[in-house]
Amino acid sequence: MKPRTWAFCLSEANQNLLRNPVLAIASITTTAVSLLVLGVFLLLSANVNQITTNIESQVAVRAFFDKSTTQAQETAALSTVRGWKDVRSAHVVTAKQALAQLKREFGDQGKVLNSLGSANPLEDSLSVTAKAPVDVAPLAKALGKLTGVVRVSYQSEVVNRLFNLINGIRVVGLGVGVLLLLGALLVINNAIRLGIITRRREIAIMRLVGATESLVHWPFILEGLILGLIGSVIAAGLAWWGYSALYTSAARSLPFLPLVAPTPYASDIAGVLVVLGVLLGAVGFRLSVRRLARV
Amino acid sequence: MQLISLRNVSKVYPNGVAALRGVELEISKGEFTFLVGPSGAGKSTLLRLLFREEVPTSGVVMVNGHDVGRMRRKQIPYLRRQIGVVFQDFRLLPQRTVADNIAFALRVTEVHPREIKRRVAQVLELVGLTERATAVPSQLSGGEQQRVALARAMVGHPLVLLADEPTGNLDPVNASEMMKTLLEINHLGTTVVMATHAAHLVDRARQRVVAMEDGQIRRDELAASYSEGVVR
Repeated sequence: MKPRTWAFCLSEANQNLLRNPVLAIASITTTAVSLLVLGVFLLLSANVNQITTNIESQVAVRAFFDKSTTQAQETAALSTVRGWKDVRSAHVVTAKQALAQLKREFGDQGKVLNSLGSANPLEDSLSVTAKAPVDVAPLAKALGKLTGVVRVSYQSEVVNRLFNLINGIRVVGLGVGVLLLLGALLVINNAIRLGIITRRREIAIMRLVGATESLVHWPFILEGLILGLIGSVIAAGLAWWGYSALYTSAARSLPFLPLVAPTPYASDIAGVLVVLGVLLGAVGFRLSVRRLARV
Repeated sequence: MQLISLRNVSKVYPNGVAALRGVELEISKGEFTFLVGPSGAGKSTLLRLLFREEVPTSGVVMVNGHDVGRMRRKQIPYLRRQIGVVFQDFRLLPQRTVADNIAFALRVTEVHPREIKRRVAQVLELVGLTERATAVPSQLSGGEQQRVALARAMVGHPLVLLADEPTGNLDPVNASEMMKTLLEINHLGTTVVMATHAAHLVDRARQRVVAMEDGQIRRDELAASYSEGVVR
């Protein structure tokens, strides 16, 4: 089609939107809200992801030595472990250090440990942190095979539960987002259908005087795209602006909370939202094609 | 070669009504043809087959060398650009001005704006509505509205003009004005096929008359009148 024909289609699409402003606003609002919810969940899950990754990689795997293990054997084990490529750091925790740590953690009640006298029931151990969370389980297994190691422990339970919780949140969020998207799709579809019905006279005349089917379709496709685009730009803008503000204030007041930086991630999400919005408009039109054929 | 030819054309609607039964008809370029007959005789169906609003159940409909019934969907718009159609109910766009209604036909077929302007002025002159170019349909009389519809049908320079009861909603004065314009258009070289009930217009025009009844052609005479054997 020629540029002026595109202009014609665009002005037809615009007239449609202006002729049914209530439905246009409803379409834009539902699109914006559903995409915003989706965007918030995406941002939330990205951040939770980042936080758990942090927690998980900080989890130390402890390999406990048999009481009879000599210091030389422990040092040998340490240098072996330091040579593994999935290990971030490793050090020996002597039984004495472990007891001191235990006393510290018990605080005031740590005094009860004084009753042990000079006896120390604890073992020497290797404290090892992995480079990546996925390395933790295999690392624990490998540590268990070292000579002198009798027992390996890490807080897999806590991490697993946290993971389950996050996955739950993610599924629910995605579900809610998808349902809202379906709602937005229906509203857009209705707006287009109403446009088709109010313009059926015009469509019939267009066909009568020899307009191609693509010329008949494009005003409605553009209508869907415009609705989806406006709705998604609003959602993307709000998500980006809101997240940037949150990030800035969190960086100031909660510096220990490592939020995902907005520039690469939130702007990506904003882009995804706009693409989804436009897609929503296109699908909204596609659902009306049969109605258009029956005019 | 005939501009329009129907060979053994039948049309049965999905509800079982047989609108046309074995119709044979040839119309040459430049002819003026009246389709007459009672309501339900099949006149409108015959016209609708010509611009591919309907497809024949059997038989062949040829327009300007194209088998219209078996034409691919993509080609239909190009067929319709060669055919002008006028209906009893005008079918104008109420929000658009006279000039816009006429230009609409050219805009959707991607004609250059300068050419559109030129041709709209031309057809407005032909139907005598140059003064009313900026009026909207509701400000026009029925006769004027039908002239706008006629102008829109003619602005694409069609090979053939199909008119389905074009004077059905007009008073006698406007009806005979419309008839005069249609004959003039035919005189300028456009083939015209007009379905009508208006006996007096047919009788006065002395053109070819194809009389239909029950989906069949009962009479086909040159320079004839509305009813058989009547000479007024």
